[in-house]
Amino acid sequence: MPKDMRRDFADRAELVAYLAAEFPAAAAESAAVSATRGGRRAAEALLTAIQPARYASTRNFLDGAVTRLSAYLRHGVLSLAEVRRAALRAATRPAEAAKLISELAWRDYWQRVYAVIGDGIWEDREPYKTGLEAAAYAQELPADIAAGTTGLACIDAFSRELVDSGYMHNHARMWLAAYVVHWRRVAWQAGARWFLTHLLDGDPASNNLSWQWVASTFSHKPYVFNRENLERYSGGIYCRACPLRLQCPFDKSYEALQAELFPGGPPAATPPRRRQ
Amino acid sequence: MSELVRPVVWIHADCLSPQHPALLAYPGAPALFVWDEALLSSLRISLKRIVFLYECLLELPVSIRRGDVAAEVLAFASEQQADGVVTSASPSPRFAAISAQIAAQRPLRVLPVEPFVQIEQRLDLARFARYWRAVEARALNTFPEDTV
Repeated sequence: MPKDMRRDFADRAELVAYLAAEFPAAAAESAAVSATRGGRRAAEALLTAIQPARYASTRNFLDGAVTRLSAYLRHGVLSLAEVRRAALRAATRPAEAAKLISELAWRDYWQRVYAVIGDGIWEDREPYKTGLEAAAYAQELPADIAAGTTGLACIDAFSRELVDSGYMHNHARMWLAAYVVHWRRVAWQAGARWFLTHLLDGDPASNNLSWQWVASTFSHKPYVFNRENLERYSGGIYCRACPLRLQCPFDKSYEALQAELFPGGPPAATPPRRRQ
Repeated sequence: MSELVRPVVWIHADCLSPQHPALLAYPGAPALFVWDEALLSSLRISLKRIVFLYECLLELPVSIRRGDVAAEVLAFASEQQADGVVTSASPSPRFAAISAQIAAQRPLRVLPVEPFVQIEQRLDLARFARYWRAVEARALNTFPEDTV
């Protein structure tokens, strides 16, 4: 007779201790526990707080009015249809909810692509458009990135937030992914695996295809950023105290970055588009 | 396929809602979630993800086990003397593989989850922009035939 796992816990600490004992390999990856709670009640509390108009104007900022619904959407605690309806209800007119709904549409789009290509999400959909062969990219994530010890205040903060909380703002994901792939020349798959280990919303399709978007294996050109962009949307909180602020590898024009990161690559970039 | 009368519900990690279509279609049916041991060891997910999922499960009327998913679901169906298994759809290839293993032994009914938008036409998925052009009016309820 198979034995059911426990459902009765006095509190969260007891649940966490039980799960750490039941799943020692997961605890060995990282024993951190997120402040974000699972379940429909937590999801509904966030859903009632969405602000579609503020989302549209502030979502690129790390302190913007983002919804934090991604983990609940990933695991179907909420459906895209429910959130779409809630966004329309919370907006004074549909156009006000358009940005939030188009971001929901990205998830729907990735899921539809997944239904077609399946495990092909792990393969380069197209060649890199960086002027480099796939073989030029390292297969393993460098230890200093995983440990948050690169010395770059922004990158290390993003790395620790990923591991400690299982959550990152979308813009921070894009910066971190671009750093991993383009500055460190690491294959996107290594970064994608790392994110899936930790992100509460880790979805193979959304995650891998977004990494491919940054890498340029599922987009027309690589995504890069510079210090001005990061400083603006982070409110300068990392740069101010960064030990490498005078040797910042991001403190360049897009033209200079293009020449440095993609020698022999595609023509000089226009200011970057954003995935969001 | 004939209608199932007393099925068990197989809950998987792509639909952890109390509004799960199988829980709504078969209220009170015994439900099971199985931690996929093989997937856990290949994906190497960290403890916080397991805690989050477990908290989702604790809000659902579901038994929780671990092991080989298809084998556990089939064993659960036998214990419950069920006439089949009901679950919700998922695009994941692993879901397809496990479903095929279950369906080889027992009737399996896969219910759709409510789609983001109702679209009948074939969508061009080569780039997001093309997909979005096709669905935008429906998504924003501004499609002429829709009522808000």
